[in-house]
Amino acid sequence: MSAASNSLDQTNPEAARALQIVESMPGFAWSANAAGQFTYVSPSALAFLGNARDDLNTPEGEDEFGWRRVVHPDDYDRVAARWRHCLKTGDHYDTEHRLRRADGVYRWFRNSGRPARDSQGRITEWYGTTIEIEEQKQAETALRDRERELSQLVDMVPSHLWRLTPEGRPIFFNKRMVEFLGMDVADIDRPGMSPLEAVIDSVIHPDDAPSMKAALDRSLATGEPFAMRYRLRRADGVYHWMSSRAEPLRDHAGRIVQWYGLCHDIDEQVKAEEGLRESERMLRQLIETLPALLYCAAPDGKPIYRSRQLSEFLGFGLDDKDEAGKPRLASTLDAIIHPDDLATVQERYGHSLATGEPYALKHRLRRFDGEYRWVETRAAPMRDADGTIVQWNGVCLDIDGEVRARQELQFAQERLTRASQAAGLAELSASIAHEVNQPLAAIVANSHACHRWLSAEPANIERAKITAERIIRDANSAADVVSRIRALFKQSTDARTVTPFDSVIAETRELLADEAAQRRVRMDIDIAADLPPVAVDRVQIQQVLINLIRNGMDAMDSLTSERVLRLRVHQADDVVRTEISDIGPGIELPEKMFEPFFTTKEHGMGMGLAICRSIVESHDGRLWAERNDPCGAMFIFTLPARVSV
Amino acid sequence: MWRDVHLHVASKGKRMMTADQIVFIVDDDARLREALGELLASHGMQAVTFASAGDYMAADKPDVPACLILDVELPDINGFDLQGQIAQSDHPPIIFLTGHGDIPSSVRAIKHGAVDFLTKPVNETDIMAAINAAIDHDRDIRSRRAELGVLRQRYRDLTPREREVLPLVVSGLLNKQAAAELGISEVTLQIHRRNVMQKMKAASLADLVRIAGQLEIPITYSRRPKGSRV
Repeated sequence: MSAASNSLDQTNPEAARALQIVESMPGFAWSANAAGQFTYVSPSALAFLGNARDDLNTPEGEDEFGWRRVVHPDDYDRVAARWRHCLKTGDHYDTEHRLRRADGVYRWFRNSGRPARDSQGRITEWYGTTIEIEEQKQAETALRDRERELSQLVDMVPSHLWRLTPEGRPIFFNKRMVEFLGMDVADIDRPGMSPLEAVIDSVIHPDDAPSMKAALDRSLATGEPFAMRYRLRRADGVYHWMSSRAEPLRDHAGRIVQWYGLCHDIDEQVKAEEGLRESERMLRQLIETLPALLYCAAPDGKPIYRSRQLSEFLGFGLDDKDEAGKPRLASTLDAIIHPDDLATVQERYGHSLATGEPYALKHRLRRFDGEYRWVETRAAPMRDADGTIVQWNGVCLDIDGEVRARQELQFAQERLTRASQAAGLAELSASIAHEVNQPLAAIVANSHACHRWLSAEPANIERAKITAERIIRDANSAADVVSRIRALFKQSTDARTVTPFDSVIAETRELLADEAAQRRVRMDIDIAADLPPVAVDRVQIQQVLINLIRNGMDAMDSLTSERVLRLRVHQADDVVRTEISDIGPGIELPEKMFEPFFTTKEHGMGMGLAICRSIVESHDGRLWAERNDPCGAMFIFTLPARVSV
Repeated sequence: MWRDVHLHVASKGKRMMTADQIVFIVDDDARLREALGELLASHGMQAVTFASAGDYMAADKPDVPACLILDVELPDINGFDLQGQIAQSDHPPIIFLTGHGDIPSSVRAIKHGAVDFLTKPVNETDIMAAINAAIDHDRDIRSRRAELGVLRQRYRDLTPREREVLPLVVSGLLNKQAAAELGISEVTLQIHRRNVMQKMKAASLADLVRIAGQLEIPITYSRRPKGSRV
């Protein structure tokens, strides 16, 4: 019965009404005497706790409160201390703690009590309420947990977070930032500077500070997001590259409430980029300083890069020769390739571009000053993982010096050969001319003198006779020269050796390869297998070959179409037959041209073919000319085959 | 020194040895030397032949109008080099005669002062015309050289003061101006001037000006007032 358990007078209607109000209110109500012993506990509370009121009071002779059993052990000491204090002092009692429900579950409550006093001010009674705040408490805890997590997040993210007021005053650095800088927002203070200026001055690299300040000021003024890279000073004084961004937080009205900033350490990235740039620079420098002319072209051959050396060599840029309606490759080749080499370059380069085969060609390249230099160009395709050509990379090596040196060397070799064998045709012709000319000059002068002595009045017969004798002498001497030349080609049978003829041809071909390339003559050589050896003076027969091949090249000089010189060697009965044919304009007088001093050339002594025939005949062979089919001339010579050695 | 140097003279030798003109021939071919000498002899001209440039350089040459027929190909130095070596001294006009003449070498020879460039074999008309022209040319040079020698001697005979007066007079300065220039009286200047005219054998002032030109006496004074100098 409640009357038994509570000391309130229920007979009084007003009191009964008051009790009803108290007991029907949410929450628990209680009263206690000045000693702290409960005089009333609302039934709902007792029901909640599953205890009788007296269970809550302190038994006689015990120190601890009876409600110890229902208050959470972790809260008890605190709550008890407070209650004792309030009982003693009369201070308002106000505390939060957990109470054990009848089923053993603890719930949070807020407990408040006020003392009532008599006219002398003595505490007569305590009145209090106990209201469940479990949900509130849980919400608070959850909030605290979230805040803690958030704060942990803020401190743990591997970035610097910071906050500014709309005016730009720094108000927060996260923990990492504080650790990095070695100071917190509050630590940075510079007399005469705004807080922001002070921060910038203290921690931003002096080279970056002005631009950083300017960018930040602009963002603060306009509300535009801020983003830049700068170097930030670490506590140990080392600057690190940072990538920083900040954006404003706005309220409903669009006013900026705060700036949130984030910056993260990109030092390693920047250093790696620098390293990459440095290695790129090194590579570029390597390319630019290599003593070679380098270029790159698109898969279709369009030039897309030139090394500095090549640009300087050519004297114009990639697109300087661009013409409307004409591919850059064509206009570039027209501008830089020697006209005589252009067709070959176009054909070969086109072939490489079409097939992907590497390209290599020696040709002349026009330098900025108009001089053509011999270069060797090589290009190879660069392919992607699928094997598709993505680019052509090429190099031109200046081989002008080499080519000229080789030409010099060859000239020197030829001179040497001539000197030792006296068989160099041009010089031989000149020397024959000189040998014949000297006696002729004397004969002419003597003839004039003779004529004069005879024409004198009176005629000086004595002197005329003397001069006539000299004329006879000198004329014989001229005839001697001619027979000496004949002898020259007959005497050297000792020098003959049995030689595989194909090696003689191969040597000759090598000797003339460059000249043929320069004169754009394709040498088409066909040597039958199993040729019998021949007994020849190697140098003389080579001179015959060289002379006949050059004749053929000369004959095709005026051709604009392809120049082909065909050399065919095969055995016919007991001779080795060599045919040298060109596709020039052909010959009018096949026999006459073997006569000495017959020439159709502007600069020629007309001795070449005569001497060739004399050499071949001295080898017991024959040399003659025929018309080539369908056009041009064919020179044929035979040498007796040596069947057995 | 006269080894391999031959004199070609007409039959009545002694008279011709004292000929008043001479043709030098340098050619390494003995037959041609002989034949050219014979041809010249048939024209009554004296020739002296040499087999090399060195022989020609070493020889004593009579001081008479002459010309030099020079082959390009010589055993020691070639004809062009010999031409270069003698270019600075008084030498007879050169006719080149070569077995293989080409345009560049003929241009080079003429540019360096040769009077002709002929090729072997050469016909009589061409070589004789060239020789006669060359000798005439040499005679002309010699007479001018001689006249200049006389003038130089006369100039050397002037007193130092007269040599100062000469350029002032030929510059066209008035006696008064010339006297002032030298700081002497006009009368004294007139005496010097008369002596200069006499010693230089100048018939007139115009003649003296011509002589000064030949002697290449610089005209350093102007009659114009200094302010109007151009």
